[in-house]
Amino acid sequence: MKVLNREVGRKGEEIAAEYLAAKGYEVILRNYSTRFGEIDLICRGKDILVFVEVKAKKGLKFGRPEEMFTRYKLEKVKRMATVYLEGRDVPCRIDMVAVVLDEFNRPVEIKHYQNVT
Amino acid sequence: MLVKVRSVANVGLVALPVTVEVDVAEQGFPGFTIVGLAGKAVEEARERVKTAINNSGMDFPPKKITVNLAPADLPKDGGAYDLPMAVGILAASGQIQDSRFMIHDSIYYGELSLDGDLRATKGVLLVGLFARSISPSNPPLTAETRAEGEKVRGGNLKGVLPEIFVPIESANEAAVVEGISVFPVRNLKELVDHLNEVSVIKSLGYLVIEDLVEDERVEYDLAEVAGQEQAKRALTIAAAGGHNLVMWGPPGTGKTMLARAMPGILPPLLPAEALEVTRVYSVAGLLQPGESLVRRRPFRSPHHGVSAAGMIGGGSNPLPGEVSLAHLGVLFLDEMAEFPRSVLEGLRQPMEDGQVQIVRAAAHVSYPASFTLVAAVNPCPCGFLGHPRRECRCSELAIRKYRGRMSGPILDRIDLHVQVPAVEVEKLSNAPSGPPVTAKTRAGGEKVRGGRGSYDGSGDVRKKVIAARKIQEGRFKSDGIFINSQMKNRQVRKYCPLNGETERILRLAVEKWDLSARAYFKLIKVARTIADLGGEKDILPVHMAEALQYRQMG
Repeated sequence: MKVLNREVGRKGEEIAAEYLAAKGYEVILRNYSTRFGEIDLICRGKDILVFVEVKAKKGLKFGRPEEMFTRYKLEKVKRMATVYLEGRDVPCRIDMVAVVLDEFNRPVEIKHYQNVT
Repeated sequence: MLVKVRSVANVGLVALPVTVEVDVAEQGFPGFTIVGLAGKAVEEARERVKTAINNSGMDFPPKKITVNLAPADLPKDGGAYDLPMAVGILAASGQIQDSRFMIHDSIYYGELSLDGDLRATKGVLLVGLFARSISPSNPPLTAETRAEGEKVRGGNLKGVLPEIFVPIESANEAAVVEGISVFPVRNLKELVDHLNEVSVIKSLGYLVIEDLVEDERVEYDLAEVAGQEQAKRALTIAAAGGHNLVMWGPPGTGKTMLARAMPGILPPLLPAEALEVTRVYSVAGLLQPGESLVRRRPFRSPHHGVSAAGMIGGGSNPLPGEVSLAHLGVLFLDEMAEFPRSVLEGLRQPMEDGQVQIVRAAAHVSYPASFTLVAAVNPCPCGFLGHPRRECRCSELAIRKYRGRMSGPILDRIDLHVQVPAVEVEKLSNAPSGPPVTAKTRAGGEKVRGGRGSYDGSGDVRKKVIAARKIQEGRFKSDGIFINSQMKNRQVRKYCPLNGETERILRLAVEKWDLSARAYFKLIKVARTIADLGGEKDILPVHMAEALQYRQMG
């Protein structure tokens, strides 16, 4: 089961990266990890650095992917973003991408929420 | 989309308008935020509303939802905002046809259960009264103008009468308010169907206050207490004029039973009184599900472990205490000397003013507290001081300390002091062997004979009390009070002229016992009640003499 979840997550990140690339973002880093945790995607948008948290769900039986993005998780992403920036002062924001997959891991729904802080 | 739904906040006994603004935004990260000085229970409404909507077969929109409870500076607490929030969310997400005026004009009030049902919610009567106050027709509540009210109702001015949607279990409370439409809501689904005109919730018919039958149950009958004619007489006077009473006597002589017989001799609540009492009980959440109006005079007997806040009322959003729950009824303090001093002293203001002001950081409220105090006390710690046969073992100091627990100011406010001595054995053994006295035989006004002393049973006493109250009602028609004990000094001068001999007796007693000015006026009021019980127009010397007899403390 655990392995399956990781599979869903990895697939979700892949789909999100493609989706963002299609929207004109340049993905510069995937799975940036520190001792605090991981940032799924780091992208360069128009004049802005974007940290992206991806949440994927297979079916909606256990709730929407958005519900899995908690205040705690947001704080974690913020902290890691601070680490990544190392004090550099660049415009940046945190986005969230929610991906819903069907039983064959094909995307049914992709939603991109900008600036979720 | 933004939707505004009307609701109310209860502060003390007043309902204030609250607008529940619900915004369901197309843009933004999904979430549910509530602002507007929401208390903990309102914060938790998030989970209740969300689950209730989902479990009612509708969709909780996965969008950014912001709820504002206006005005922003009024603290709000409790579950009553669940319903307006749910209605707002469903309307703002297109699941209720929002083009209808009803959502904006009606008042929604009630707590949701997770399955979408509405739970009994306190304060619904206040919601009804508030709706009536904003009603354009605003018909008066009493019987005199009933015909006029019927005209409004008969004309079926749909949409003109304010509509309130409240939980079905509490809806009867509001049904006694004329000039509004009360919709009893069982669950969220039913309400949505009603608003979408899929099905119809029938509004409740107006309940005429005077038609509601009084609950006839009687716990104790006066006739069940052996002997104690003097105490029974004092109880009758207390019931007739609303005078405070304290009974002194050794353990086991019937003090508590006498006090518990008091509800059985009190007159029924007048319609206006019933509404006042119900308001307090509605706010306190003490009405039974489906109950509409309190029809019996309250009888409260708090244990002596009661805290000051429990007695007077309190809490950060202050709730009524025992003194307010006993409003227009009886507050019985058994073993009065055992109550903490602070609690007893706290009774002084309500006893004087008939209401309590409770001031807390968050709110300043005033509750009515016009009660008749009935207290029972032992004469000393061991209880046998003055007993004809048993010896008192208390030291002088112990007795003085015991009595000291009840301060002078409190005892001075009590009009009737009466001894409840040990009972003679002959009176006990002559107990009648018939069936216990029930409400039925009581209603028949049967006089209980036999060896139990010559005093009447509760049924007859009650008739006398009612007759005496009728006289008082007529006297105070234009004064806004009901009973003799509520008279201000000005009214005492107006309604209680004393003739020469009566005046002389009173003066003599005041000088001899060094009575306070308050005691002076209280004596006249008691004498007035005794005269009313006897059907006398004037206060005669004999009435004053009897009143004086109850001033000697145990």
